[in-house]
Amino acid sequence: MEKDALALSQDIAIDVDNVRKRFRSYQDKAASLKERFISPSRTRHRDVTVLDGISFQVRRGEAVGLIGKNGCGKSTTLKLLTRILYPNEGRVTVNGRVSSLIELGAGFHPDMTGRENIYTNASIFGLTRKEISKRMDAIIRFSELEGFIDSPVRTYSSGMYMRLAFAVAINVDADVLLVDEILAVGDAAFQRKCFERLKEIKGNGTTIVIVSHSMEQMYKICDRLIWIEDGAIREEGTPKFIGEAYLAAMEGRRLDRIEFEEQQQKAELEKRIREEQERLRKEQEEQHRKEAQEQEERRRRDAARAQKEENDRKRREELAEMKRRQKELERNETLKTVSPFCRPGSRRGGNGQCLISKIQVLDDGGQAVQVIETGAKYVIEVILENPNRLKEVVLAVGFTREDGVYCYGTYTNVHEHKGKPEGAPIRFRFENQFLNGKYLLDFWVQSPEKVIYDEILGLMLLESKSADTKQRGIFNMWHEWE
Amino acid sequence: MVRKVKELYAYRDMVRSLVRRELRGRYKGSVLGFLWTYINPLCQVVVYSAVFSVIFRVQIEKFYLYLIIGMMPWTFFNTCVQGGTTCVRAQAEMVKKIAFPREVIPISYVTSAFVNMLFSFAIVFLAVLVSGFGFRWEAMLYLPLVMLLEYLLALGIALALSAATVYFRDMEQIVSVLMMAWIYVTPIMYTVDYVPEQYRRLIMLNPMTPIVEMFHQILYYRIEPTGPYLALAGTYSCAAFLAGALVFMVLERNFAEEM
Repeated sequence: MEKDALALSQDIAIDVDNVRKRFRSYQDKAASLKERFISPSRTRHRDVTVLDGISFQVRRGEAVGLIGKNGCGKSTTLKLLTRILYPNEGRVTVNGRVSSLIELGAGFHPDMTGRENIYTNASIFGLTRKEISKRMDAIIRFSELEGFIDSPVRTYSSGMYMRLAFAVAINVDADVLLVDEILAVGDAAFQRKCFERLKEIKGNGTTIVIVSHSMEQMYKICDRLIWIEDGAIREEGTPKFIGEAYLAAMEGRRLDRIEFEEQQQKAELEKRIREEQERLRKEQEEQHRKEAQEQEERRRRDAARAQKEENDRKRREELAEMKRRQKELERNETLKTVSPFCRPGSRRGGNGQCLISKIQVLDDGGQAVQVIETGAKYVIEVILENPNRLKEVVLAVGFTREDGVYCYGTYTNVHEHKGKPEGAPIRFRFENQFLNGKYLLDFWVQSPEKVIYDEILGLMLLESKSADTKQRGIFNMWHEWE
Repeated sequence: MVRKVKELYAYRDMVRSLVRRELRGRYKGSVLGFLWTYINPLCQVVVYSAVFSVIFRVQIEKFYLYLIIGMMPWTFFNTCVQGGTTCVRAQAEMVKKIAFPREVIPISYVTSAFVNMLFSFAIVFLAVLVSGFGFRWEAMLYLPLVMLLEYLLALGIALALSAATVYFRDMEQIVSVLMMAWIYVTPIMYTVDYVPEQYRRLIMLNPMTPIVEMFHQILYYRIEPTGPYLALAGTYSCAAFLAGALVFMVLERNFAEEM
């Protein structure tokens, strides 16, 4: 029995027995002392089971492929085989030297030459100097970097770098070779070469465990495929059979996924359309609201402006009126100098180019009077002030009865007082023919074209008295009774 | 344990490669290149000897020689402890992806620092010649042994710290603070006689004390290392090495997961 086990073990290169592997997934890895002290609870973690009881064996010289979707535990399995990780439960036994093509170019120093780096890199895979020296030529030949091998690797292109790295890795003769998805190195020709080399290695009796997503490569090189799903072996068997099943499942999954994604996209689109519509509607509402607001504002502004203009106009008018009024009052004021008998209600107008400076009503004796008798003779003396030396000035005089009835008026001819020296009075002699009544005296100084220079209305009140009490009315008419 | 040793032996060439890479790679591309190995500690010595002989007026004959002899082993030790703390973390990519005995990393690191110290002893010997002190050859025979003891001590500490740092990153900062203080409790800038009587036992608890003192005995006082120092250093070094190896072995299993 024990002998059997021994025989078996010699035939078995890899024995994975009911292996479980959990990873701690920290919510927020509190790695510093402070955090651990301050909040021990923060170091809470969740155990994620990556491998959940996996068992398989690989015979000597067999090539086994691990397939499965991303995150199913393929790479973890490889790392367990190389003893980078250790299982939480179960046992991993590997007989013979393991070489893993998991990490390429480990320990490469950019400033060191290709040759020096071959030594470093190969020694990391556990080769001794002697072994490396023996393989040196094969490695360089395989890498096709003969011309560059003594240049620092920092001068290499990334393709050359990977070729060198791969050349080292694949020339490490091992009893068990682990390959993780690295056959995608370099150009197509180099990939083919790597693949051929892998087949050659297999032909030499090396046990190979390979992880790849390329089914073509798997079919060509593997004797058996192990399909891992959710940390457990779902199926294992001949490559074609398992591969087809896997691809079918993946395709189904892919289709499911596509359908799922399409539905999600549709839902997403619908949602977005709804949102977009809603947004548009809101925007429009907003726009309308704004426009209405603007209109209202504009209207208010216009109204306010019109109101202001109106007010201004009124104020200007008022001001003008006030000024006019003030001027008028001022001019009325001047009337006091014109005549000592100036009446309070007298008004003065005209443009002021020629002014009356003095008016006197005198009787025969030259006495200023306010009461005139019917039938007696009087004279009105008017003195003009003509600063502009106007040549043609017309002086008019008028009598208006107290109650506003215009009774009499006349004016000078232009020539009549021409040539009079400045300041000499213009005399208007008249015989009073009014009966009893009170009369306001009006004067005008104007151009022949009737542009009024000075206008004095109601300067003084003359009271007319008649000795003959038989006559009634306005005039003393020449009459005779027979 | 035996298996471990066997495994490490199989990877001896990896250690050699990494040491070579470390030594050759460090100064590649710099103008002065390997000379930096000398310039750095030399400058340190110049500064310290200026400060201590001019300002503090330390009454030690040929103080610069005394200082150099202590400083070179200290530089090695300091490099190992500080750099050793981060050496495994620094190789995270390799540790996560490739299977190899993880001890290789601290061993390579300490060894490359050790080789550096060997080179820097050229300065020490030169200083001895310049001082006119000369060598006492019977004493010189002990030099490799003392160096080996220091190597073991440094390696033990580097192993323990490099493994601990993987789990606990603050270690790096703690160590750097610690090292700043450590140099002053080691008789490098003063002789043991300067230490007050009541603290002398205390300073002997510092594992670097007997080692530095033995360097002084061999090269400065020109006598063979005294028995008590040898015994003390042997005990410290072996204990540190065994403890470090044990700690590393326990912690290394989960390196790939923790990084």
